[in-house]
Amino acid sequence: MTTQTPAPVPAPAAGPFDPADVTWTPVSTRLATVRLLMLGLWGGGLVVVLALGAALIGVGWVWVFPAVVAVLVLWPALLVRRQVRALGYAERADDLLIRRGILFRQLVVVPYGRMQYVDVSAGPVQRRFGIATVQLHTAAPGTDATIPGLPPQEAARLRDRLASRGEARLAGL
Amino acid sequence: MSTDLRPVPEQAPEDAYDWRRMHPVTPALRGWKVFAAFVAAIGFQAADNLRDVGEWLGPGRAWLVLVGVLVLVALVGFVYSALAWRVTRFAVTDEAVHLRQGLLFRQQRQARLDRLQAVDVVQPLLARLLGLAQLNLEVAGGTGSAVQLAFLREPDAEQLRAQILALSAGLRPGAPAGADGAGAPVDGAPAGVALADGTAPDATSADATPDGSATPAAGGAPLATRAPAAQPFAAAPEQQVYDVPMPRLVRSILRSTAPWVFVAAVVAAVVAVVVTGDVGPLFVVVPGALGVGGYVWGRLNVAATFRAATSPDGIRLRHGLTETRTQTVPPGRVQAVRLTQGPLWRRPDWWRVEMNVAGYGAEAANESVLHPVATRQEAAVALWLVLPDLGTDDPLGALDAAYDGLDDAGGFTPAPRRARWLDPLGWRRHGVLVTRTALIMRSGRWWRTVVVVPHERTQSLAVTQGPVQRRLGVATFVAHSTPGPVSPQVAHLDGAVAGALLGEQAERARQARAVAGPELWMRAAEAPHAPASMGVGDAAVADLPQPPDAPGDAR
Repeated sequence: MTTQTPAPVPAPAAGPFDPADVTWTPVSTRLATVRLLMLGLWGGGLVVVLALGAALIGVGWVWVFPAVVAVLVLWPALLVRRQVRALGYAERADDLLIRRGILFRQLVVVPYGRMQYVDVSAGPVQRRFGIATVQLHTAAPGTDATIPGLPPQEAARLRDRLASRGEARLAGL
Repeated sequence: MSTDLRPVPEQAPEDAYDWRRMHPVTPALRGWKVFAAFVAAIGFQAADNLRDVGEWLGPGRAWLVLVGVLVLVALVGFVYSALAWRVTRFAVTDEAVHLRQGLLFRQQRQARLDRLQAVDVVQPLLARLLGLAQLNLEVAGGTGSAVQLAFLREPDAEQLRAQILALSAGLRPGAPAGADGAGAPVDGAPAGVALADGTAPDATSADATPDGSATPAAGGAPLATRAPAAQPFAAAPEQQVYDVPMPRLVRSILRSTAPWVFVAAVVAAVVAVVVTGDVGPLFVVVPGALGVGGYVWGRLNVAATFRAATSPDGIRLRHGLTETRTQTVPPGRVQAVRLTQGPLWRRPDWWRVEMNVAGYGAEAANESVLHPVATRQEAAVALWLVLPDLGTDDPLGALDAAYDGLDDAGGFTPAPRRARWLDPLGWRRHGVLVTRTALIMRSGRWWRTVVVVPHERTQSLAVTQGPVQRRLGVATFVAHSTPGPVSPQVAHLDGAVAGALLGEQAERARQARAVAGPELWMRAAEAPHAPASMGVGDAAVADLPQPPDAPGDAR
């Protein structure tokens, strides 16, 4: 009887983010390096500027600002590697799965037939470290299907594969 | 200006297209808009400067200058509009509608008919007085992607709409769009697939021979021979399903928060003025009052004379007091439906029904209303309009459970008890029901919400989990839909249930897409769910649970 609610499948203890028979492909660990570098450049720069300012002003409590910013920069810096490890994607026969996050976890399922277009992008730093970002777009603006940290060959392969599969399963809106 | 359409084959050279102009009064209407915008802008922002200029010029001459400036602006506006009108043309081919416009920056826009999401006939007050109308062809391309044909004579606009809808349904000239309901076109439909080969099945049309040669080489020659078919497309017949009585609309607005905020603000201001003896508070209240008053007026103006009808072309919504709008949404274009009820609407049991249509986008809140204030039965009918088969054996029972049910009433999968830590008031309302054809989600204890998403309209799916949710072992299930007022999601489901739902729903959506009808809906193997047997009012409600041959075609 299909009108009944989904019976709770005996899921593994890992919960809703580990569907059965799915092998996750991790993204490149170079993404962590890039993110740390960017964080260091921007956050570190900001800390240095604020510290200089505090030193110039010479009032004790002003040092609160660089201290707070330093904590705000250091905290994510400690998490970057774990976050990158938590990123993963899986190509199934009819859809692409993307998983991300540790504290706030998310699992997105994008059917190939729903893809409107695929973006591949790489900034200067990403290019220097040999990674690229693939983003899938559907007709829904809420679809957050971004895979950062793919090696360029893998990004190109994924792009072509997604495009060809999308064409094969193309559906109207 | 002849009204019949000669849909040129898309492959023909562009110059052979049947390019047409808008109505000659268009520049006057457009120019008026430019003029009004200018006057408003000047009036609000540069009034002081004008006064200075006036004082500098001395009494008497100030008026001359003002009138001179206004005349100049009007002249520039009208001349520009006239020139723009001269270069604006549109053409309809058998696959697309083309619009050329732009004086300085030329633009040619093409709306593919098989991607057509909705067709609106809009009549602003001034245009209505002149018997003109604007035709909006909505395609799924985000804000500003519509092809707007403004302005046309009203009968022309309506005929063009019928023709465009028939073409986008996959019909050819000669086959009347549902002269006797949906039956006629469907008969010719399966053979219509062969149309691409140039063997059009329209033996009914007098000029069948040139019609068949729809090849790139056809050029302009067959057009002339097809022209004699006086009215190639008849407008599809429509049947009214519900309307909104004006008293109920007024009472529904009185039962919303905006008017009371307005009254409270006015009372507070008056009290403040009386107590302090200072008129200062009035200056704070007046702009706010204008805003709220405008909002209330807008709601009344848009929803007044709301009527919904069915036709083989799709659902047809008419509404508007000063600016009237007739929307046609072809079958299968509604991506998701939401029914909402605020606390003040609970006693009369009214619901507001809204929908996501890809062409309207997120900004078009007025166009996305399916029923501004529906009774419980009317809400079910409105839902039936866009989703004829709810996919359960007891659709009304399922809807009742969705309207105000708690926990697992009506077969819903509720949020587990531990979700009360996250949503102490509404946790018993969070629930989801999967039917053969749709996903029904309900939420909200005080602001009740029911969202229905057909399986074949699911774009993508997601499960999310925050730290507290993780601790409690619950997760939020999200179905992504096209831009619009409805964003389907159900919060705080049991983690395992959400995970299983994600997997199953992906599979169900895949299967539903595989059997979903084609974009050219008249070429579907089965008849669209035209309510031939459907009466108006209560009879319609009684018919609701039994959509024709429902169980067979759903799977």
